[in-house]
Amino acid sequence: MLSMIFSVILDTGYSWARMLIALAISMVIGLFTGIAVARSRILNRLIMPLVDVLQTLPILAFFPFAIYLFVFYLPGSIGINAAVIFLIITSMLWNLIFGVYQAVISLPSEYGELSRIAGLNLYQRLKKIFVPAALPRLSEQMSLSWAIGLFYLVTSEIFSTGTKNYAVVHGIGVEFVRAAATGNFYLYVYSIIVFVMFVIATRLLLFEGFDRFANRFYINEYKKRKRDRFTFNGLSMKFSKFKIKNKDLLLRVSRYVVYVIIAAVIAFTAIKLVHFVNISLAYTLIKYEGYSVLSLAFSFLRVWGAFLAILLVSIPLSIHVIFLSKKIKKYMLVFQIIASIPATILLPAIAEVAYGNSNLLAFIIYFLSGLWYVIFSIVATTKYLPSNIDEVKRIFHLNGIIAWKKIYLKAVIPGVITGAVTGIAAEWNASIVAEYFSVGNGKVLTSVSVGMGKALNVALADGNLLLMGVLLANMVVMIILINYFVWRRLYNKVNSVYS
Amino acid sequence: MVFLKVENIKFSYPKSSVTILDNISFSSREFEFISIIGPSGCGKSTLLRIMAGLIGAGGGRIFLDNSRVASPSNKISFVFQDFALLPWLSNLENVKLGLASKNMREEERERISLEMLNRLELTGFEDAYPNVLSGGMKQRVGLARALVSNPELLLMDEPFSSLDELTANSLRKTVIEVLKDRKALPKSVVMVSHNIEEAVEMSDKVVVLSNKPTYVKKIETIEIKRPRDKGSRLFRKKVDEIYSIFAG
Repeated sequence: MLSMIFSVILDTGYSWARMLIALAISMVIGLFTGIAVARSRILNRLIMPLVDVLQTLPILAFFPFAIYLFVFYLPGSIGINAAVIFLIITSMLWNLIFGVYQAVISLPSEYGELSRIAGLNLYQRLKKIFVPAALPRLSEQMSLSWAIGLFYLVTSEIFSTGTKNYAVVHGIGVEFVRAAATGNFYLYVYSIIVFVMFVIATRLLLFEGFDRFANRFYINEYKKRKRDRFTFNGLSMKFSKFKIKNKDLLLRVSRYVVYVIIAAVIAFTAIKLVHFVNISLAYTLIKYEGYSVLSLAFSFLRVWGAFLAILLVSIPLSIHVIFLSKKIKKYMLVFQIIASIPATILLPAIAEVAYGNSNLLAFIIYFLSGLWYVIFSIVATTKYLPSNIDEVKRIFHLNGIIAWKKIYLKAVIPGVITGAVTGIAAEWNASIVAEYFSVGNGKVLTSVSVGMGKALNVALADGNLLLMGVLLANMVVMIILINYFVWRRLYNKVNSVYS
Repeated sequence: MVFLKVENIKFSYPKSSVTILDNISFSSREFEFISIIGPSGCGKSTLLRIMAGLIGAGGGRIFLDNSRVASPSNKISFVFQDFALLPWLSNLENVKLGLASKNMREEERERISLEMLNRLELTGFEDAYPNVLSGGMKQRVGLARALVSNPELLLMDEPFSSLDELTANSLRKTVIEVLKDRKALPKSVVMVSHNIEEAVEMSDKVVVLSNKPTYVKKIETIEIKRPRDKGSRLFRKKVDEIYSIFAG
């Protein structure tokens, strides 16, 4: 038993090493990209729309591609580790960039003037102004990145184990797979306990300390300005005042450019395919497209069904935490720890509960994957509420139903919208494990009859890259269209009133 | 007859031995306008919040019309320095919040609120949202919300200090104008300010507070006839007098 625990701890150590490497790389890239994007109009126009789109895509679904790529170019275990770390970085990076960008762009202009008067060079400006100013937001985003990263880590480790040839040898995901495959209950429980201990230790030893350090650089002037600037994680940076309309227009134009590029790539691939391909392949493509749309429709129902359930839980819960409990900090610490536990590792346990009902299991995994995003997003945006809202409530005796109707339910709307984008993206990310889950040696824990995740797994098992490409393209196009036509519009409408 | 009585109010922050408010006492009769001035950080806003029943005092009592104030009551209303309007409600809806605790028909609530908006020169902005308004107009909505319930005591926490001087001036005029109507308006008004001139212009009594630990340095009665001319010798003299108490 002791050796079992020792091996679990060792494997978790391997996983954490991957996480820390990925976090360090993400922070460096995020810091400098964020600063560059905030300081340069051109980079802003080029990079932000791209980050915008990338943030809402289920990159996990591209993991099979990443594996092929890295394993093809890098020898042995280096390749698969690089693939895992690369994948974790793609999950951590985007909100770090947004956070740093926000911090630098909302710096009072006096700082820029000061640096010009003092004649600071680029290195000095970075060291004395931009990097310290970005640290509080970086630290804030870091814990979110860590939680998302853990999901990617465990899922990609487990996933790689499913593919016989490219499995990682050590990692907490490997232990989970071993436990699930052999039905070893103790190993499973120990793995979860060790994992949670690592999560808590990391938070207390690493993040709390870094947070204290970073918040020394917190600039009070942010507070006022923050209120009229809102980040819209996932879709676009929105600005409240119409004077920035031009910039907004530019952003929109550049976003169209990105869409056009994506469309062109897809069209080009399609034409290329059609070009030197015969009728039978065209027929296959049409067949794949039909299969994709059908799979997408089924998964769509599950994902959005789970999202409705998320709303039913997250809205009252967030309102309780923000307005009624008065203990936001304590709740958030607990929430962050719970949120750091990836739904994937609970999957074998949920599979027991949802005995044989793969639709129910998929629903639960979707629910757990998206829930925390919505809650965190609501809590984050309500920070910008009128500061004395509590006094208003008491002076004018706004209690009970009136308080819910006039204050709480309306105050959370911007958070719900931003949370919907990231939460639903997280759900789609989870589709690859939620709808079909195999622990190797032919043991399948769950498998829905039709669905996106199922189809992707089938395509991967068959090595059918063409089918995988068609599936991913369908999913990506759908997510972008919904973001554009639903969430962005809703957000613009709400933003003009709230900020 | 004494209408509002502030009696030996003490305050210090929990877990701190530093005294903030030290035995603050003053009183006012019906239809008196009182200003409280003092150096920044002396606890003026805290005192006002104690009077509103928002914060518990460490000692002392507040009486309004002979009944004790210990928690927010619908006889007391409040105007906030930074307006504290709810951005997601229209201006009319914001004003209606002032009547939320009153038991009345919805049409009645709407009619009274519209009337109040009209009195504060906001006709035409009922259905707009606060964020499209200028600071001065936002504070007008804040005032309308505070006055609509016809409170007995109106408390204002530096109501003009987040406005520019011109806007503040015209809003002060409106407030003075609105407060003239004794039938429908608060029987007592207490305003916290750091602007001596503003206090002399508007009030019947000025309570001058000291620096921490804060005590009442002097209560000055202002007997200059209204409307007050800020350029007059009498006015300037009063301002200078209070300034020397304030600084001395």
